Amino acid sequence: MARKSLISASAQKTLAQLNYIYLLLMMLVIACILTAAMTLQYRYGELPCPLCLLQRVALFGVAFGIMQNFRQGFSYQNTGFSLMFTILLLVVSIRQTLLDIYPRPGHDYIGSAVFGIHMPVWSILIAATILIAYALKMSVLGGDEYLEKANIGKFPVLRRIADILSVILIALCVVNLVSAFVQCGFGQCHTSGYKLLP
Amino acid sequence: MMVAVFLAMTAALIFGWLGRRDIAIACLAACFVLAVWLFLFEIYSPDYGFRMPWIRT
Repeated sequence: MARKSLISASAQKTLAQLNYIYLLLMMLVIACILTAAMTLQYRYGELPCPLCLLQRVALFGVAFGIMQNFRQGFSYQNTGFSLMFTILLLVVSIRQTLLDIYPRPGHDYIGSAVFGIHMPVWSILIAATILIAYALKMSVLGGDEYLEKANIGKFPVLRRIADILSVILIALCVVNLVSAFVQCGFGQCHTSGYKLLP
Repeated sequence: MMVAVFLAMTAALIFGWLGRRDIAIACLAACFVLAVWLFLFEIYSPDYGFRMPWIRT
C-alpha cells in the first residue's frame, strides 16, 4: 500500500505505457516467429512434424494471453495463460531436442538449420526468452497494480497497433488450421507430404 | 487430432477478439488439454511414438 502512494499519477501512466509497449513487442516477435515458420513451410517445402505443430500451437497460446490484455484489460490470469503455454512450448521442444540430440541414421533434425541452430533448439531458446521477458517485465516494471486503472483505451496508438497485430495472429492461426487439415486430415500428421493433396 | 487442437486455438483467439472471454477460455482450456494429450500420444505411441533408447537404462 505504501508503494502505491509513492508513485505519482503521471509515473503510473508512463509505467502502464511501457508495460503495454513491452507486451506489444512480445506479440510482434511471436508473430514474426510464426510467419518465419510458415515461410519455411510454404517457400521451402519443409513440412512441420507433429511436435513442431504443437510448438506453433503453444506460441499462439502465449499470444492469446497477451492479446487478452489489450482486449479485456490487464489481468494476471492472462499472464498465467501465456506462462502455461510457454511451459508447454518448453516441454515439447526439450523433448524433441532430446530426441535428435544423439545422431542416428535416418533420424536427423527436422528441417534446415537457421543460423546454425535447428528448429526445436530455437524453440527452447524462444520459450526461455519468453520466461525471461516476463521475469524482467515483472521485476523492472513493478507489480502492475497501476494497470488496473490505466486502460489501453488511454493509449489509442498502442491500441491500434495491438488490434493490427491481433488480427495478423488470428489470420496466421486460421492459415495454420487449414494447413494442418490439408497436411494431416483428421488423422496422424506426417512430414512425407500433404495428405489431402495429390 | 491436430486439426482439433488448431480448431480450438483458432476459436479461442476469435472469441477472445470478439470479447466472449468465457467461451474463449473454455476453448483455450480444451486446446491445452488436447495438445497435452496429443503430445503424450506422440511420445508414447508404439506405432508413431518417438523413442529415445540412448537415455533408457
